[in-house]
Amino acid sequence: MSVESATAIQRNQVDLLDFVDWSGVECLNQNSSHSLVNALKQGYREDEGLHLESDADEQLLIYIPFTQVIKLHSFLMKGPEDEGPKTVKLFANKEHMGFSNVSDFPPSDSAVLSLDNLKGKPFTVKYVKFQSVRSLTIFIEDNQCGGDVTKVQKIVLYGTTVETTDMKALKKIEDH
Amino acid sequence: MVLEATMICIDNSEWMRNGDYAPTRFQAQADAVNLICGAKTQSNPENTVGVLTMAGKGVRVLVTPTSDLGKILACMHGLEIGGEMNLAAGIQVAQLALKHRQNKKQQQRIIVFAGSPVKYDKKVLETIGRKLKKNSVALDIVDFGEEDDGKQEKLEALLSAVNTNDSSHIVHVPPGPNALSDVLISTPIFTGDGEGGSGFAAAAAAAAGGVSGFDFGVDPNLDPELALALRVSMEEERARQEAAAKRAAEEAARQEKGGEQPSNSQDTTMTESGTVTAPEADNKRNDLTDDETALLEQAIAMSMDDPRTSHSVGDTDMSEATTEDQDLAFALQMSVQDNPKDSASQTEMTKVLGDQSFVSSILASLPGVDPNDPSVKDLLASLQGQSEAQQKKNEDKPPNEEDK
Repeated sequence: MSVESATAIQRNQVDLLDFVDWSGVECLNQNSSHSLVNALKQGYREDEGLHLESDADEQLLIYIPFTQVIKLHSFLMKGPEDEGPKTVKLFANKEHMGFSNVSDFPPSDSAVLSLDNLKGKPFTVKYVKFQSVRSLTIFIEDNQCGGDVTKVQKIVLYGTTVETTDMKALKKIEDH
Repeated sequence: MVLEATMICIDNSEWMRNGDYAPTRFQAQADAVNLICGAKTQSNPENTVGVLTMAGKGVRVLVTPTSDLGKILACMHGLEIGGEMNLAAGIQVAQLALKHRQNKKQQQRIIVFAGSPVKYDKKVLETIGRKLKKNSVALDIVDFGEEDDGKQEKLEALLSAVNTNDSSHIVHVPPGPNALSDVLISTPIFTGDGEGGSGFAAAAAAAAGGVSGFDFGVDPNLDPELALALRVSMEEERARQEAAAKRAAEEAARQEKGGEQPSNSQDTTMTESGTVTAPEADNKRNDLTDDETALLEQAIAMSMDDPRTSHSVGDTDMSEATTEDQDLAFALQMSVQDNPKDSASQTEMTKVLGDQSFVSSILASLPGVDPNDPSVKDLLASLQGQSEAQQKKNEDKPPNEEDK
C-alpha cells in the first residue's frame, strides 16, 4: 500500500481519459454553466477556476461510457473542502440510470471521501468488481458540508485496458 | 430540430364545459393538442408525443410516446369530461412515462394544459418542479380557463423551479375571440425554444394570418424552385434595365462630345465587321446634309430609349457608325461587356438586317438618302455580310436567348 504515491500512477495503471466515449457522456443535475467537462477533460480539470457544480440539489449522477472494455483500479476526485463530494457510489455497466433507481440495486462500490481524497489522494476501488467495464455511473450522494451545492474540481479514473482488438490497427488483407 | 419526447397533459375536468373559448374550452384544447402534435412530429420525424388526461377517475395515459400521429389523433376522440384535475399526479405520471421512453437520446418535455383551478400549494409545486429539473425534464404550461386567485402565481413558481436556460415556458391565454390554437402558434411552445419556427409553424401562421411575409408571395419552403425562378428573373430584368440606362447615359455623353454619331454598341460584337463598316459608313456619312444629321440624331435618341423596337434598330444601325477611332474602341469595349444582354437585341437586329428589301425600303424613307447611291449600296452589302456572320455567331449562343 505504501507503493501508492500521492499521484498514484502505479505500475501500469493509466489515465482512462483516452478511452472515454465523449458522445455518450452525461451528467444529471449539473449546473449548465459549470458542467462535467470542466471536471473531466484534459486542460479543463487542471484549471482551478473551472469546476462541476450541481444544480437543483446536492446530488449528481455522472454516466461515462468507454470506447473499449477497461478494468478500473482507482479514481481520484478533487474538490473544495466543504462543498466537495462525500458519499460516492459507483455502478459498472448500468446504462441510463436516473435518480429514482440509484437505490434499486446495490452499487459495485461505494466510497466515503475524506479530506485527503479531496486534496488528491486516489481512492482504490474493489478491483474484482470492475474487471470488465463498458460504462461507469458515478452517483454523488451528498457533500462534505451538507449544503445544497456540490462542487467537483477534477475527476480522474485509473485503470488498464482489457486486451481488445484495436479496430484501427486492423489492415485489410490484399485480394489476389 | 431537437430530438424530443413530449407528454401532453390534458385537462378534462368539469370546468372544461365552459364556452368562453369557442366552441367549448375542451374543444379548443383538443385543437391545440392536435396542432402541437403535428408541429412536433414535423420538426423532427423521430420525435414522439404521448397524451394523458389528468381528471376523470384518475390520471390515465391515453397513448405512450409515439411518432404515429394517427394514433394520437384517434385517442383524442370520445374523451369524457368530468371530475377534477390532479396537476401534481399528472406531471409525475408524465415524468414516469417519459422515463420509459424507447429512445433514451430524446430530450424530455411535458406540456400541461391547466384550465381548472390549482388546488395544490406553491411548495408542493416547487418540489415537483425541482425534481423535473434534476431529471432534465422541460415543462411548458398553458394557463387558460379559470382565473383562480393565486393560480397564475403558483404556475409561475412551478415554472421558475423547473426552468433551466429558458427551455421551459408558460403562456397565459385569456378568454376572447382568438382561438386557443392561434394564440399558441406564435409562442415558443410551438416554435421550440426560439429555433426560428419550423416550416409547419410558419406556414400555419401564414395561413392563419392570410399574409405571407416572403418575397413574391411564395414561400421558399413550400416551393423553392418557383421562388428561385422569380428571384432570378427579377435580377435579370434589373440588370437589363441597368444596361439600357448605362447605354443611354453613354449616348448622352457622346452627343455632348462633338455632335458626332455615337457608336451603337449593338453592331459591334464582331470587331472586324465593325471596322469594315466604319470606313464605308464614313463615306456615307459625309454625303448626308446637316439637316439629315439632326434628324438622325433624333432617331438615335429615340431608338436608344427603346432598343428592342426592330424598326428603329434598323434605322439606327444604318445611320450610325463610328467616325472617330476613339469612340469606336470605347464602344467596342462597352459592347463586349454588354454582350450577353445585347445578344437578344442583336438577334432581332440581325434578322432585320438580313432582310435586305426591308433595309432598302427604310433607306428610301430617309430623306436625302438615295438607295442607288453606290456608297449606300456598298454599306448595305457589308452589313449583309456582317449580319450573316452575326447569325453564325448567334447560333453558338444558348438558345434560350432567342426565346426571350
